[in-house]
Amino acid sequence: MGGGNRFSLPQAVLAGESSARIERIAERREGTVGDISVAEPRMTCRNVDVYYADKHAIQDVSLDIGTNEVISMIGPSGCGKSTFLRCLNRMNDTIDICRVSGEILLDGVDIYDRSLDVVPLRARVGMVFQKPNPFPKSIYDNIAYGPRIHGLADGRAELDGIVEDSLRRAGLWDEVKDRMEQPGTGLSGGQQQRLCIARAIAVSPEVILMDEPCSALDPIATARIEELIDELRENYTIAIVTHSMQQAARVSQRTAYFHLGRLVEVGKTDDIFTNPRHKLTEDYITGRFG
Amino acid sequence: MSDNTTGRHTMRAYADELKQLHTIVLEMSERVRTQIRDAVNSLEHESPDEAWLVFEAEKRVNELDTSADDQIIHIIAKRQPVARDLREILAVSKIVGDLERIGDLACRVARLTTTFYEGEHLAPSAQMRRDVPHLAHFVDEMIDTATRAYDTLDLTLALQVIERNEVLEQEFKAALRRISTYILEDSRNVGCAADLVLGLRALERIGGHARNISRHVVFLVKGRDVRHKGREAIAAELFTS
Repeated sequence: MGGGNRFSLPQAVLAGESSARIERIAERREGTVGDISVAEPRMTCRNVDVYYADKHAIQDVSLDIGTNEVISMIGPSGCGKSTFLRCLNRMNDTIDICRVSGEILLDGVDIYDRSLDVVPLRARVGMVFQKPNPFPKSIYDNIAYGPRIHGLADGRAELDGIVEDSLRRAGLWDEVKDRMEQPGTGLSGGQQQRLCIARAIAVSPEVILMDEPCSALDPIATARIEELIDELRENYTIAIVTHSMQQAARVSQRTAYFHLGRLVEVGKTDDIFTNPRHKLTEDYITGRFG
Repeated sequence: MSDNTTGRHTMRAYADELKQLHTIVLEMSERVRTQIRDAVNSLEHESPDEAWLVFEAEKRVNELDTSADDQIIHIIAKRQPVARDLREILAVSKIVGDLERIGDLACRVARLTTTFYEGEHLAPSAQMRRDVPHLAHFVDEMIDTATRAYDTLDLTLALQVIERNEVLEQEFKAALRRISTYILEDSRNVGCAADLVLGLRALERIGGHARNISRHVVFLVKGRDVRHKGREAIAAELFTS
């Protein structure tokens, strides 16, 4: 369990603390509202704490990510949703001052096991970032890069097949099939983001993490990505961080609300957006002050 | 109005829009209650002129109903409401529909006055029509309580209205039995008894709409649709979980 949540509510009351402070203490003592577990988890996170040096960024978060579901993570800036997402494929390892504790399992295997190689892990748990980041290479090489380094293709013909299949799944094939040797950076923003999704798909991941994948895109490009997410759900598990409440409502089956490093509430998206159980969730999604 | 409903919204304009809807509900409620009282008074005073005031008042109620619908459409289009905002908007949409129907039914009661006292129609005795003010007072209280339940998001009040509606049903049946005795006493009463039954039926329906409003309040507060549940099931659901 997280070590930063040791508060004594009775002591606070006896000490004559202000009601607002007592309320804050009570809120921090609460666990997550809603069912954190699912019947068929692809990833299982238990009692996850993340520290950036002394800052306790994620506090005792437990959450399952179900097979072939889209789960959205919402919350105000600095609530820890992106930090938590980055824990799921150990992206936080790249930050020296970051320390992660707790348990995160992928198909029952601890991804923080010291013997585990993070390179294949990041192939199994791919990531798409806020800003499209194609490599400064051709469209073809952007997709082919992952299969090449992971040794997934046996010969050019097979690699061609993976590239085409990935681009088709990302809904980009028809737009780029005649200019595969042109640089990926020459595509429009929406196309670049779909290229990045195709790149993630090319290494046959089980889980795709998306960190605000549409925040740099116009509404049409956003709609295409959202449509793509819906299609990808058939074959992949997707966890998406978004600042757009409507996007979370549109694309995900479950929604998790983070606040000040805590997972406040998780539940079916239909329930969260019609009848959330926690006041903080309600205040946030309806645009009220917390 | 309750701060729980629209208070402290980040977008003040959004909060104002929700508040306007809230105000429309309160105004409509006040107006239809006045319509009911005026309708009964017109009958008591045997004054068709007073009955016409009820018909006139209906226009403003209809305007408010339309205005609420317009605002709801705009809020949905502009704000994409969720959670309690969404529930409030859906509840208001239904509540104003119920209030508008109450206004229509108040006109039905006022029509008794024009029917009985504008022509050569045989009018009932004061004794025979006494259930009209009785039921009108009963349903007026129900509307008042349902409106306060909405205004304060008070589920206890909402449940009271649902309970009172069951009493109203009994009162209505008793009133029908009394009317039938007048027909048995004198067959010339058949004509005005039939009209009175329609008026009493309108008041009974008004009570039903007040109960509906309370059910919408339950949906607004708890997010649960209790429209097709009995009083005991609703009470169990509201106060045991």
